[in-house]
Amino acid sequence: MTSTATSISTALRVIGGLLTVAGTCLPWATFVLGDGPYPAKATLEFFTEPFAVEGYRLHLLVLGVAAVVIALVPVPGQGRILRALGAGVVAVSVVNGLWIAVDGGGLGAVTASQGDTAFGAPVALAGGVVVVAAAARGAPAPEWPWRFPPSWERLVLLVAFALLLVLVSALLTSGGQGGAANVYAGAVFLSFLAAVGAGMGALHASGLLSWVAALSERHRGFGVGVLLVCALALPFTEAGSEYWMTVAANIGVYAATAIGLNIVVGLAGLLDLGYVAFLGIGAFVAANLSGAAASRIGIVLPFPLVMLISAVVAGIFGAIVGSPTLRVRGDYLAIVTLAFGEIFVRAAQNDIGGLTGGSNAIPGVPPLSVFGQAFDDQLVIGGIRLAPGVLYYALIVLVVAGAMLVFSNLKNSRLGRAWIAIREDEDAARAMGVRTGPIKVLAFLVGAVLAGLAGAFFAHKTATVSYESFRFIESVTLLAAVVLGGMGTIPGAVLGASILFVLPEKLREFSDYRLLLFGIALVLIMRFRPQGLVADAHRRAELAPGADQPTVVLPAVAAKAGG
Amino acid sequence: LSTLLSQMVNGLVLGSLIGLIALGYTMVYGIIQLINFAHGEVFMVGAYGGLAMSTYLLPGLLQQWYVALPLLLVGGAAVSVAVAVAMERFAYRPLRDAPRLAPLITALGVSVALQEAVRVFYPGAISPLPFPRVFVDGAYVLPVGDGVPIRYTGVLIIVVSVVLAVALQRFVDHSRLGRAMRAISQDRDTAQLMGIDPDRVIVATFALGGVLAGVAGILYGADLGFVNIDIGFQTGIFAFTAAVLGGIGSIRGAVVGGLVVGLVKALGGQYLPGGTAYDYVWIFVVLIAVLVFRPQGFFGETERVRA
Repeated sequence: MTSTATSISTALRVIGGLLTVAGTCLPWATFVLGDGPYPAKATLEFFTEPFAVEGYRLHLLVLGVAAVVIALVPVPGQGRILRALGAGVVAVSVVNGLWIAVDGGGLGAVTASQGDTAFGAPVALAGGVVVVAAAARGAPAPEWPWRFPPSWERLVLLVAFALLLVLVSALLTSGGQGGAANVYAGAVFLSFLAAVGAGMGALHASGLLSWVAALSERHRGFGVGVLLVCALALPFTEAGSEYWMTVAANIGVYAATAIGLNIVVGLAGLLDLGYVAFLGIGAFVAANLSGAAASRIGIVLPFPLVMLISAVVAGIFGAIVGSPTLRVRGDYLAIVTLAFGEIFVRAAQNDIGGLTGGSNAIPGVPPLSVFGQAFDDQLVIGGIRLAPGVLYYALIVLVVAGAMLVFSNLKNSRLGRAWIAIREDEDAARAMGVRTGPIKVLAFLVGAVLAGLAGAFFAHKTATVSYESFRFIESVTLLAAVVLGGMGTIPGAVLGASILFVLPEKLREFSDYRLLLFGIALVLIMRFRPQGLVADAHRRAELAPGADQPTVVLPAVAAKAGG
Repeated sequence: LSTLLSQMVNGLVLGSLIGLIALGYTMVYGIIQLINFAHGEVFMVGAYGGLAMSTYLLPGLLQQWYVALPLLLVGGAAVSVAVAVAMERFAYRPLRDAPRLAPLITALGVSVALQEAVRVFYPGAISPLPFPRVFVDGAYVLPVGDGVPIRYTGVLIIVVSVVLAVALQRFVDHSRLGRAMRAISQDRDTAQLMGIDPDRVIVATFALGGVLAGVAGILYGADLGFVNIDIGFQTGIFAFTAAVLGGIGSIRGAVVGGLVVGLVKALGGQYLPGGTAYDYVWIFVVLIAVLVFRPQGFFGETERVRA
């Protein structure tokens, strides 16, 4: 590239960044919207006193300034960082501009109407587009070779995870509880999510995230411990209210289930479309053994034992559902699992054996309690009052952590390698001496056990167990969580479950369109990022375009590459 | 005896409908090895297309059935074809060479999106909507025992299904496009070298499946007198079961499979423990049993007529 071209593209990047900043300072709406002033109060005025830049405008300002700085300073990975920042600017301005335009009843709300002008959204959008367009698709993210004394590295990890905790808490609570009283919750959340995504993308492009990941790999035990402590510390943050703890606990249930599904789908490559049935089986077993008034079985057992029984029963069913894998493969297997899932729903709907309550469900599953402390009561630790439901959250964090531990150990074990071998090529695996039959059934069994554990928790948490919670669409959602997050990875399943189960909470006003958007999103993910947000190294190769075709390397080329 | 016979009639009618839809599954699977999960929704969209036509476009024309029925059949089929072709073009074609899992998940997404799109955007679709009785109402009562009613719409469904299935078989066997389909299902690359445009042929396959599903949608509505947004998912699963049962890829198999599924549902609901509450369960049990013990279906191995 000639130096003129370089300086032109640098100039364009700077201009894009400046446009973004300018857009931040401009008004965003021409009038007060029908549902009240749009968040970040200064939407109506030009950027004047009291100079309170907050909310999405603060995010935009940060992104814009960062773009200008990065454009002028030649840091490694510059192109990719700029693309991430620019894409973030585009996303944030589109979300907010669209929201104002739709709520205000037309484009006049974001441009000019009755003598008032507000070009904040279009200007910022243009800035983001310019930044993205001018940022060359650069070299891959640089690797940082730095090493420090172990105690320093641990300190870095500690800070990184603490920041993550703050970020998660901020994300969870951003926009507040959605609903009629808080109509902009969805916009605030989506906008913040886009800004955070842009920041993460930029950090990833700079190589920092990979470096931190490598650090935590070097200090694995320490890293896991700190992460667990951080997760348990969430109730002490802003997100510690009863509502958010309930949301977080529900996410935890689905995260644990998604990890189980990830074993079946992500590791062993067996598509399961009826997986939520195992969650249901676990939940119904627990509900019947918990002393709920509607349960037919009079026995009341302590919760740990109930959890164990739920897991065992779910595991047995898992082995049954998995047994056709001995003969059926691929798409057909998916259909068999779907059929099992539907049979479960039908049976539960019809109150089979009096065990599921049919359409009446099983209500009144008693809350858990430890040492006289009921889980749905508020908890006082050292004078700090914690909201009701915190203990449920803490327990599900432990369950998820256990599931993660099981997953990661299995993945690196002989069994895990056998699963991956089966996923990649079943015939080859068999030829290499992998006993494919029992090992495939085992994948279903282990996955079902994890779902059964989560189900026992779910029964006590929600207090009512109904077949409605285990319909086909739930299986699809779980599968989508695994695919969106990234198949075969642990953070992927948790991330995917979090996104898919937080969004409906935040976007209450769109609850009518929830499934529609969900379906479209599934199609788009498969089209544009089939490997998911967190791509597994193996998977990345496999889901890349044309991965089904064997790569033919001509001997001469190979020799040249090798020599 | 009359109960048995009338349940068998019900089963055959339902079975012919399911067979019509199963043809769409079987053709698409035969040509690109994709379980087009969203095909059931194509059927549902066809039914709603016909309903929209009769409600909003030409409510006055529905007095005579011989005017209304063909109009609705064409309209429903047109809507279904449009949806099927759009789906192929925008959802599946970009994934033509992706690993198997990707198109299957896409199909799930398309299915959910279509069903929800109708629910959200079709006025009143949250609850079941009445469908006009566009064919002669009433039934011929077969004088056996207490009498076995055979509804005229049922006869219509059986006749239309058989005619369309035979026509499709002949089309695939003898027409130029049918030959192209068979060529592509055997070896897409070679077919392309021989001058066949796979994209066109695959779109044509989806369109043909759409025609059949649209017709089935109208017939379903006319027979039952109402439509509901989840008929696509349920009937779609039945049809898929039928396609597998008959041997996926086989036209004759799809029809026979449809009849078997229809009979299992009608008779299972009548005679097996649990009654109609469990009739779905028996279909799934049959599906699992077939997949486990004879995955190639009835006609799968002996006769590989892949559309």
